[in-house]
Amino acid sequence: MRALQLCLLVVLGFFPAVFALHESEAGVVDWHKPLIGVPLTYSHSLSPTLHRFSAGRLRKSTQSIILTATEANVLAAVNPVDGELVWRFAFEPEDPIVSYRAHGDVVCVLSGPGGSTFRTFETANGNLIAERRLHKPSFGRLFEPVDLGVHMSFVDSNFTNLSPTTDLFVLTDGYTVRRLDSGSGRIKWEWSAEDQGSLVVYSRIARTSSAVYVIGLAKSFASYTLHVHALSPSTGEVISNAHIPSSIYNGLTDFLLISDATKEDDTPHIVWLEKGSMRHIMLTPQLNEKSLVIKGVTYKSILNIGLNERGYFVALKDDGAARVMRIDAEGTRVNPAFEFPESESSDRYSDSLYAGGLDKDGIPHIGRVYWTHVFQTAGAQIFSPLSAHGKGMITGFTFPFATNLHGIIHHIAFDAAQPAETVVLGRFVLTTGTGAVQLWQQDKVQWTREESLSEIKVTEMIELPEKKTVTSHINVENETMSARLSRQLLDMKFPSYLISFVKRFATGSYASVSTSAAAEGDSAESLFRDEFGFRKVIVAATGRGNVFGIDSGNGAILWSRILGLGVAAERGGHHVPFKMFVTKTVSDGETPRVALVTQRLSKSGLVDAVVFNLDALTGEDVLGKSSTHDVLNGEEVVPGEILDVFMLENDRTIVLVDKYLQIHLYPDNKETRTTFESLASKLHFPLKATDRILGHQISPKPRAISGKFNAYSTWTMALPAGEEILSQFSPPSEPIASFGKVLGDRRTLYKYLNPAITGLITTSRGTEQPTCGLYVVDGGKGTVLYHAVLPSVNGACNIKAAMAENWLVYIYYDDEISSAVQAKGYRAVSVEFYEGKQINDKTRSSEASIYSNTSANVQIYQQGFVFPYEVTTMTTSKTKFGIATKDLIVANRRGQIQTLPRRIFDPRRPKGKPTTEEQEEMLFQYDPLIPDDSRRVISHNYKFARIDRIITSPAVLESTSLVFAYGLDLFSSRIAPSKTFDVLNENFNKAQLVLTIGGLAAAIMIARPRVKRKRLMERWYHSQ
Amino acid sequence: MSVKLDYANLNVPSKWRNLPPPPGFSSSSTGSSKGTSKSSTAVTASQEALKEKRAWDVAIAPAKSLPMQAFMLYMSGGGVQIFSMGIVFMLLFSPFKNLASTNAAFASFAPAKSDANSLSTLPLQKIVYFLCNMLTLALGLWKCRQMGLLPTGTGDWLAFETRASPPEIFLH
Repeated sequence: MRALQLCLLVVLGFFPAVFALHESEAGVVDWHKPLIGVPLTYSHSLSPTLHRFSAGRLRKSTQSIILTATEANVLAAVNPVDGELVWRFAFEPEDPIVSYRAHGDVVCVLSGPGGSTFRTFETANGNLIAERRLHKPSFGRLFEPVDLGVHMSFVDSNFTNLSPTTDLFVLTDGYTVRRLDSGSGRIKWEWSAEDQGSLVVYSRIARTSSAVYVIGLAKSFASYTLHVHALSPSTGEVISNAHIPSSIYNGLTDFLLISDATKEDDTPHIVWLEKGSMRHIMLTPQLNEKSLVIKGVTYKSILNIGLNERGYFVALKDDGAARVMRIDAEGTRVNPAFEFPESESSDRYSDSLYAGGLDKDGIPHIGRVYWTHVFQTAGAQIFSPLSAHGKGMITGFTFPFATNLHGIIHHIAFDAAQPAETVVLGRFVLTTGTGAVQLWQQDKVQWTREESLSEIKVTEMIELPEKKTVTSHINVENETMSARLSRQLLDMKFPSYLISFVKRFATGSYASVSTSAAAEGDSAESLFRDEFGFRKVIVAATGRGNVFGIDSGNGAILWSRILGLGVAAERGGHHVPFKMFVTKTVSDGETPRVALVTQRLSKSGLVDAVVFNLDALTGEDVLGKSSTHDVLNGEEVVPGEILDVFMLENDRTIVLVDKYLQIHLYPDNKETRTTFESLASKLHFPLKATDRILGHQISPKPRAISGKFNAYSTWTMALPAGEEILSQFSPPSEPIASFGKVLGDRRTLYKYLNPAITGLITTSRGTEQPTCGLYVVDGGKGTVLYHAVLPSVNGACNIKAAMAENWLVYIYYDDEISSAVQAKGYRAVSVEFYEGKQINDKTRSSEASIYSNTSANVQIYQQGFVFPYEVTTMTTSKTKFGIATKDLIVANRRGQIQTLPRRIFDPRRPKGKPTTEEQEEMLFQYDPLIPDDSRRVISHNYKFARIDRIITSPAVLESTSLVFAYGLDLFSSRIAPSKTFDVLNENFNKAQLVLTIGGLAAAIMIARPRVKRKRLMERWYHSQ
Repeated sequence: MSVKLDYANLNVPSKWRNLPPPPGFSSSSTGSSKGTSKSSTAVTASQEALKEKRAWDVAIAPAKSLPMQAFMLYMSGGGVQIFSMGIVFMLLFSPFKNLASTNAAFASFAPAKSDANSLSTLPLQKIVYFLCNMLTLALGLWKCRQMGLLPTGTGDWLAFETRASPPEIFLH
């Protein structure tokens, strides 16, 4: 038995080192931040709501949850206590969410054009309970906004009686009403308006125990009139229908439907605005009531605050003052209940936002949030209509909303708690202009989710400075010899160094490659590089006009700034990040800096290119033009559109090309101008048009009038007619460790390392059979080095390509089958470019110019593979010196990130058994299928909803490359493609080494005198 | 001036040649004392011939051991291991060691009248000796080449290659 165990141990010991991520490393070397996207705020059926449902054992307690649909087409549930994501469901792009409705334990969602698909989720955990296609998406009517013509109403909308599943009435496509079982999606009956082609679009449903009312707007001259159908709730038969004489000018916002579902004999009312007067009509199954006017006041607008099924809404008077309106006790009239104090339009306050919410007992409260310009703080008021013995009570407070970090408040969702009769505590969920979601409990912010990070446009990973020992030398020049000696002795801290060395040695607490890179304690305070350089700052600019500094060690946000609009602030506008450059690195001896180039699109239609110069560690404006507590001010460099931006490597000047091909420099001073002038004639750059690439050069002297350099086009690479460029890619500029690849017979294939190389993915739609194309072009002179025509899937070109050094990989979907043995599937093609026409050919330094005849000579080795899954994005790993092999890092449709070794993709893999020479090159036999090795998944068991891009960055360790993936998720990890060859293995037996050395030293000490004595004796007695 | 004993040379310096032999010692096995002067010249001649023969033996000795060494190389295999490397090092270094001590190797076979330490004594044997050692060296180099240790391909010099950057600057 013992022998068997020993055998097993030995066998296990021989297993090769596994590449996989160890479970103990998950969450330590990597982090994952699931995001939901910026919440949609334009519609009540999509925006954030606080929903309360029964939870826990015996379903006695209740729990609330924040539900929202987002710009990223995600339905998400967030825990209001800590802001953590509870669940999310990412809908496909062609299946947009049009409406969601929560009811007790279920959340029902309609998605697709006209609400083509119905889904039910469990509120507590997001399990999909039911899914039903209501109509073909292609037959759906597209409304603007999307939720027009789509509405849901639960049969049992009584809050106090929550059955686990309940029926609901669903209006889709503007004319069809169905009664569905929310638990199974089964259709009980279906009714469609007969005149589907008419101009009546039904948009709301109201239900009572006796009838279901379907309310639509019919287009007439200059206005809309209301049209109502009353249906039987049990069979769907039409009881009656009527045109209500009305003229509504704004069909979307000027009418709403209220009812008081808490009452047994619930009578819904339609409320609408007609030329400033508010009218309402009570709905009865016979539809024979007359509309009534609420007299006295003219109203500007009516607002749905989410309490329309509780009989409350807010109407704004002409002067902006907000009145809370409600159905009276008899259910026959709509009356003003309360007017918010100081709510009229004023230059001291911003316009207010109103939202209704229920407390734990289902009692409604109405919240109002506004910004006071005078006190620079946000104010909140809560009106509790049922408090104070039914007379209503108002409470108010202010809260310090950080407008410099989060912009303005776009949307509020609200609920309240009433711990005592006279105390009402409010809880506001704010959605801000920068895409942040915040929860304020009274005047305390509980948490903030920066959802704009789901819209990162440009990003850079920036190395941190090393921690320096503090040296404060006063009067170094004048100190005496003895003073210096004593100071240096003190500085040496020899005993403490020795102690720490012994301690480190004994305990083995070295920095290890599998420890977290995040600093302990407050991470913003100690922004220093760790031992191996795993910790960096990720600077990310989002499409929402803000910039973040993120700690790559743990994903914490170190700083965030809003990009100021400058002169466009008056009219409004937004920034589109263009490119980001690192203008100062740690090796320059200063704090690292980045320059962010954006295009500012102002509402007036003007476009400017703006450069923001940031300190990467703090987010401070380097030029000191904007204070820490304000928005960032950029420098308008180009008054107009820019075509492209580059950075000169030698002095890190940013070169902007505007659409008149004028060159703008940033920073623009005498020094940079002189440097630029000396380089101008050498600069070459390609510019991309839709169907061609144009090579450009720069005039050696600036124009006399404008003082600006001008670019002129030197060559054109035109694509065939009908072919358009979809995207461009180029290999990253990185150090090259070896110029060639040595073959088994020690000849060399020299890598084709043209710094101007660029790749294009194209589509040609003009021809009958749409195809896709992939080009690799010498950007210096327009030579096409490589061209592949790829199949197009239904006219779309979903080709992913990555390039590093001389290696190109692209993945596409192949749906062309020419014989029975072929199969549809994803294909990967690996292409390697080598110099010259044959092995050993190389470009001499004298032939490196683009004008050399031989520079277009290239040998291409390529090989196709079957790829196991769809890839959403991919990149290659990047290390400090480029010595470690390159892994391909792919994000797949299954929500994983996987690395694939380069060896698999070697196009020279032999088809037969490899010969000794091929074995020497580490080539192994070609296998068409790329193995889907789950050990190479670096994303542990995290489930990514969408990864848009992966960037890699070198660590200080040559073996290790840092990975940062973004999209709807943020993920960071590190990979070692050639394993961590530059660090001692953690399992290395230090004790054994020390014991061996110690033992040998002791043996020598004992043996040496004895041997000496013996030698002496030998001399005396044996040798003559 | 120090006295140096030269045991290597059979031609004992003439200083002691005329001393009478010890009592009971006969200078030749055949034994008459009369023929001493006559036979001594014959002995000297035969000794010279013997020395020359011995010198030839030494000269071609490296070549004789070649088959043995080739066999050892074959047995040690083509991989770069401690045994094959040891043998290859021996093959590469022994010719130089031998050539460096050529004169010492042939000193004892130098003719009586010549200078034992001069390169010009026994020239033929020394040339052959040199060539044979070269053969050994060639065998060693051949083995090195077989093992891929000779930097003959372009791949061996790749690490030392540098590339000038092109005169143009490309902006990305």
